Amino acid sequence: MPLEQVVQLFPALADLPFREGYIRSIIYVSLYVSVTAVTLSTLFSLPVAMLMGFTDFPGKGLVKSVINTGMGFPSVVVGLLVLFAVSNQGPLGPLELIFTKEAMIMSQFVLATPPITAISLAAISGVSENVRDAARVLGGTRLDVALVVIKEARYGIATAILAGFGRAISEVGSVLIVGGNITGSDGISKTRTLTTAIQLEARQGRYDTAMVLGAVLLALVLTVNAIVVRLGDEGAMR
Amino acid sequence: MVRLSNATHAYGDETVIENLTLSIDPGEVVAIIGPSGVGKTTVLRILALFLSPTEGSVTFDGRDVWSLSEDERLKLRRRIGMVFQEASLFDATVARNVEYGLRVRESWTDRLRDELWSVVGSNGTPAAVTESLDLVGLADKLDQEARSLSGGEAQRVSFARALAYDPSYLLLDEPTSDLDPRNTDLIEDAVLEAKDRGIGVGVATHDMHQAERIADRIAVILGDGIAEFGPAEQVFENPTDERTAKFVSGELVY
Repeated sequence: MPLEQVVQLFPALADLPFREGYIRSIIYVSLYVSVTAVTLSTLFSLPVAMLMGFTDFPGKGLVKSVINTGMGFPSVVVGLLVLFAVSNQGPLGPLELIFTKEAMIMSQFVLATPPITAISLAAISGVSENVRDAARVLGGTRLDVALVVIKEARYGIATAILAGFGRAISEVGSVLIVGGNITGSDGISKTRTLTTAIQLEARQGRYDTAMVLGAVLLALVLTVNAIVVRLGDEGAMR
Repeated sequence: MVRLSNATHAYGDETVIENLTLSIDPGEVVAIIGPSGVGKTTVLRILALFLSPTEGSVTFDGRDVWSLSEDERLKLRRRIGMVFQEASLFDATVARNVEYGLRVRESWTDRLRDELWSVVGSNGTPAAVTESLDLVGLADKLDQEARSLSGGEAQRVSFARALAYDPSYLLLDEPTSDLDPRNTDLIEDAVLEAKDRGIGVGVATHDMHQAERIADRIAVILGDGIAEFGPAEQVFENPTDERTAKFVSGELVY
């Protein structure tokens, strides 16, 4: 694992109380939870955005307001709601999801869906009606037309997905509440993510470990945002 | 033959065309002329089986189109090509644009296989694509991005795209209204070539001279339905309707 090798390059870091595989397991949990949540959210958001972009239905304005409100929804509140849902008395209680990665995926799904839907909707609405008509008149079925629209809006949609990922991977409130920031008896992360680990390490005064984890998280988020900016530029040039 | 019989179309309360009857046979060019805003685009969209008339019927080779199932209608629709006033190209290469009509007619497994192949390398361009681009003089632009074309080139690609899947009918909505004389000539030549191949062409235009150059039959629409529908010479030289006479001589200006 390159990270351990990197750590050995810096003697000051080598003395940190890293257990074998600790950091790696945290990164893995973070990525697993956020990538899964964002993938599911994309599969849900794209059809919703398509539907909202191309059809009129009663209450559409309300749905739009809900989505826009959702963009600024506090993650701790989402965590609390998901906690109620998965707790023993909650509707999903029998599934015993409390303090699992699955519960964390649920709460990040809720957090990532509004930005992915809203940004995709803006991109899809920007595809000219002429292009849609062209796809249909050339013999396309409804599905073909939908695929053309997604292709035309690809830069905006990619931006939406990455924005959703950025929100998911960097939030701390909901994963802390529903995941519980747990490691196993071997010290390997079960539901501990980069954000919750940083929070814990800092609270316990292990600022050096917190800093390393912070740097990893920052590097991840910076990479994603650099791609977003790049895609935005490329999309704008068209 | 594609035929509109007593067709009326209204958007809400606004009647756009009223009680219109006209037809296009294979191997002829029918020009639909009339002033702007008279519903020429609506007529073409109905002929393209894109829009159903609120009253009246549309028949394709004798079959009543709007009483068929959606699948049956799609089959008929796929025998018609249409070019809009704006080129409306996809954000892809010229070849991908012209291929589109062929691609949507393939099975999903073939399409998936082609997509996967295109990641690895080039699939090669179908002959129909090169041929129809050749017809509009753009065979050398295959790999160019569509957005880098000039307006005239884009419109010619749009024409080639509608021709590539060998439709029985081709409908053109003011195809040259934004083009310079050279591009207009190229499109008109391509229309005549399509006609020689046995394709029935419907062209909406407000350019009387264009109609005179390419049309076999002319439908003149003036506000409330067809004013005249007949062979080009008759409409121009011996119109039976007084308003047609005024319109073709340029006196009737809207």
